[in-house]
Amino acid sequence: MTALNLSSRRRIDPGIPLTYLVALAVVAVTVTPVIYVILGGFRTTAQINRDPGGFPDPWVFDKYAAVFQNPNFWTQAGNSSIVALTTTAGVVVLGMLAAFVIARYEFRGRTLLFSLFTAGLLFPLTVAVLPLFTMLRSFGLLGNLLAVIAPQVAFDLAVTIIILVPFLRAIPAELEDAAMIDGAGRFAFFWRIVLPLSGPGLVTVGVLSFVKSWNAYLLPLLLLGNPATATLPVGVQYFSTAYSQDTAGVLAFTSVAMIPALLFFTLAQRRIVGGLTGAVKG
Amino acid sequence: MKNKARTMRVAAFGAISALTFAALTGCAAPATDDGEVTLTWWHNGTGEPLLGFWEDVAAEFEEANPGVNVEVTAYQNEELQRTLIPNQLRTGSGLDLYQQWGAGELAAQVEAGYVMDISDQVTQEVDALGGVVAPWQYEGATYGLPFNFGIEGFWYNKDLFAQAGITETPTTLDELYDAIDALKAANITPIAVGAGDGWPAAHYWYNFALKSCSPEVLQAAQTTYDFDDPCFLEAGDMLEEFLASSPFQEGYLATSAQQGAGSSAGMLATGNAAMELMGHWNPGTMGGILKEETGAAEATAPEFLGWFNFPAIDGAAGDPTAALGGGDGFSCSAWAPPECVDLLKYISSVEVQTRFGESGAGVPVTPGSEAGISDVNLQQVLAGLQSASYVQLWLDTAYGPVVGGAMNEGIVSLFGGQGTPADIVTKMKDAAATL
Amino acid sequence: MSTSTISAGPAVTAGPAPSRKRSRGWRGPLLIWAFVAPALIVYATFVLLPVALAAVYSFFNWNGLSALERFIGFDNYARALSDPVFISAIGHNLAIVALSLVIQGPLAVLVALLLNRPLRGRTLIRTLIFVPYVLSEVVAGLAFRLLLPPDGPFDGFLTALGWAGDKPNWLADPAIAFWTLFFVLTWKYLGFAIILMLAGLQGVPEELGEAAAIDGASWWQIQRHITLPLLGPTIRVWAFLSIIGSLQLFDMVWILTGGGPINSTNTMATYMVEYGNQRSQLGYGSAVAVILFVISLAIALLYQRFVLRRDLAGAITRNG
Repeated sequence: MTALNLSSRRRIDPGIPLTYLVALAVVAVTVTPVIYVILGGFRTTAQINRDPGGFPDPWVFDKYAAVFQNPNFWTQAGNSSIVALTTTAGVVVLGMLAAFVIARYEFRGRTLLFSLFTAGLLFPLTVAVLPLFTMLRSFGLLGNLLAVIAPQVAFDLAVTIIILVPFLRAIPAELEDAAMIDGAGRFAFFWRIVLPLSGPGLVTVGVLSFVKSWNAYLLPLLLLGNPATATLPVGVQYFSTAYSQDTAGVLAFTSVAMIPALLFFTLAQRRIVGGLTGAVKG
Repeated sequence: MKNKARTMRVAAFGAISALTFAALTGCAAPATDDGEVTLTWWHNGTGEPLLGFWEDVAAEFEEANPGVNVEVTAYQNEELQRTLIPNQLRTGSGLDLYQQWGAGELAAQVEAGYVMDISDQVTQEVDALGGVVAPWQYEGATYGLPFNFGIEGFWYNKDLFAQAGITETPTTLDELYDAIDALKAANITPIAVGAGDGWPAAHYWYNFALKSCSPEVLQAAQTTYDFDDPCFLEAGDMLEEFLASSPFQEGYLATSAQQGAGSSAGMLATGNAAMELMGHWNPGTMGGILKEETGAAEATAPEFLGWFNFPAIDGAAGDPTAALGGGDGFSCSAWAPPECVDLLKYISSVEVQTRFGESGAGVPVTPGSEAGISDVNLQQVLAGLQSASYVQLWLDTAYGPVVGGAMNEGIVSLFGGQGTPADIVTKMKDAAATL
Repeated sequence: MSTSTISAGPAVTAGPAPSRKRSRGWRGPLLIWAFVAPALIVYATFVLLPVALAAVYSFFNWNGLSALERFIGFDNYARALSDPVFISAIGHNLAIVALSLVIQGPLAVLVALLLNRPLRGRTLIRTLIFVPYVLSEVVAGLAFRLLLPPDGPFDGFLTALGWAGDKPNWLADPAIAFWTLFFVLTWKYLGFAIILMLAGLQGVPEELGEAAAIDGASWWQIQRHITLPLLGPTIRVWAFLSIIGSLQLFDMVWILTGGGPINSTNTMATYMVEYGNQRSQLGYGSAVAVILFVISLAIALLYQRFVLRRDLAGAITRNG
């Protein structure tokens, strides 16, 4: 469906210039803080104190270099990656399996199961955090990345299943009948037909899960303890307070922490926005 | 279609390997590794000179003890005390030597079984240290050693005082009010306070309580949490009066104590305020801030810095020579390797303590190390400590995190123009009831 | 908002299953449950169990370490509900819910309506608008904490615009800090709302608008009578997400203000972490968490019952 195109009717059009103005304003407000942080990393703290809003003059690369030479940064970034990738994989796999049968087959307890997962949408993570702490400590998992991965997978399952069920329900029964006739079992049907068809849905779910996990703060804060071995958001916060006097250094660290998310988003933005479109429409 | 299926398979494989990898790498590193012992050491000295000082101490210890690896890290004070240390202790691993402020906090940690009882290993040190080690002991056993102890007072800018025409440092509260007026008349911010961090503001109430309450009441309150004595209300009333004279900088509710030039310590260091009520670590903190501000590697506390005791209050019931003080120490966690105690004893040795005094970061406690104190102001602090008849530990440390937290909240509310002196006492009592 | 969720339309039932064939013998149900089991086990262990445990802990006075033995019944709940700091935290959450609905919603719709036409650089604009959403709340909070101090970059910018003299202390003034928080939240989540609305607008057929235009309707009339109603489901989905996110708000507040100054920006979640975690009173913290949960549940159920009812009716008859 194309957008409501009224440019042919000038007397109704509120004005292309107005639109560009609004767009520009929104983009400016959106992007300026980010740019400031990135540019700030190219200055020294003394520069920033002298002239908070100015441009780097001269451009200083030490602060950014220091971030990349900081072993903690790499550990934290690595941990964030492991956690996010594993969470995403776990969510996609487990969610897909469960959503598939919930969506397409009658069985006892089906409605209850679906309601159970849906209710998870309403459970704030904050409610579970303190008991998770004691639980994971008794498993001896505190400080282990799995301590963060498992709860994240669990909490994301609700969203995932809710998104995937309508997707999967939409696959026509005839396809399954045809597969059955050809002698394929349910699993083969799942593996060879349903999975490939669910691509867009899986990408949406995967991307949402990845971004949410990458940016998670409360869970790693309480469950991973030592900042040196925690994830990036926790690391950035501690860096900012431990080196609070070094404003430029903090800005550099913060902007480097932004990069993976921004990069990922640039690469996947069409998928994300497209996925959202599909989810909302469908 | 085939591509997607293959992608799925690859993803599944990836997930499994990632999970395995995570499980393997995510495990907490064992403290012993082929005979190598690793000590994890956390302290709050994020700025110089403490940052470099502790790193040197760690390196020296490693050299003297081959096979021992010391990983020392500095974290911001509030985060360390309220989040990092409690969280890590609760996990039961991963932290060996850590900053210990003593008293109520220590008691809570001991009750929970986090702290190593080092009484047998440090008998000599305890004897030498005398009374100052008391906050690091609980029910007769020793759980840590201090490296720093001093009393609180007003750090002030001699130049700005001269500019305002103040010739003598205030010795009574009335004289302090006069000084504040003189400074305001000269367009100088009288006092900087880092109320954003809570405790710097709370220290005003602590000092008023110290001057209003008799030592017996204060000591009893520490053990029984009995705050019924009207002196606690008086403290709040005096604070309210003090606040009414508007002695502080603009926006004091968001100012931090030690973080950057905009903090209260920073304001004093850069000449933007005339006074700050703060503990004996202040010169060290200010030096660190100046170093970052100016880029000068050898920046120290400014020349214009002076110190005077919290003024006496005429007609108050408390002991006029009592002082509010506290210190820092280190404790070993219950699961730390024995080398942790060796490191602690090394830190407490006369040699290291003397260098600590020389660094200007604080007041060392080990007898014989006082010679190292080069800073004139710190010598004054030490003199004040030695002549104080009664030293009360910071009240929030003394009462522990639950009551201390509630107390600080009540006091900060008063600073913000909300709440009353009675509210502070009510909050403390309510919090004590939940223990 | 700490959740980034889309529900696929308001269909909250599983809907009719396309395959009504009963299983072949015993292998059928076994296979089905084999599919469901991993998800169910993980979910039960790490979602349902902790929530149940939270409810259990809330009846005890517990520091998290000693044995769980000091049963105090509803005392924790009584304490929370009579603590003015907690009540104000609830108030802050509800205020953010209301403000987001009333300010971010219409703003997003308006901007989306304006941007919903072929523009040059449209993809770039959409990408840039979405950037704040992708950043973590920690990074966003940090960035603004560095931008907003007195005489900092933001104040410098205002001076350049012509506002000489003292500016309010954005983060320090208890009367203003809350609004600063809301401003930063809007900065973070407006882009998401706009993109969502734009996506929803894709579903509005252009023929309707054109037909109305032929009949002489103005742009505004078209939007009001045709576009907006068709955008309804999208708006309702966004509103639901916004509400849930606002109730669970933690990261941004913790980083930006820590709940202060003087508890003026506390949310239920920051209060819970402060008391439950920092002060080691896990029983009390759990009670607060349960209250948070009950409030979220109540609002969500009411919302689904009254607001989404229309959409639900449509969903059930749809076969996807």
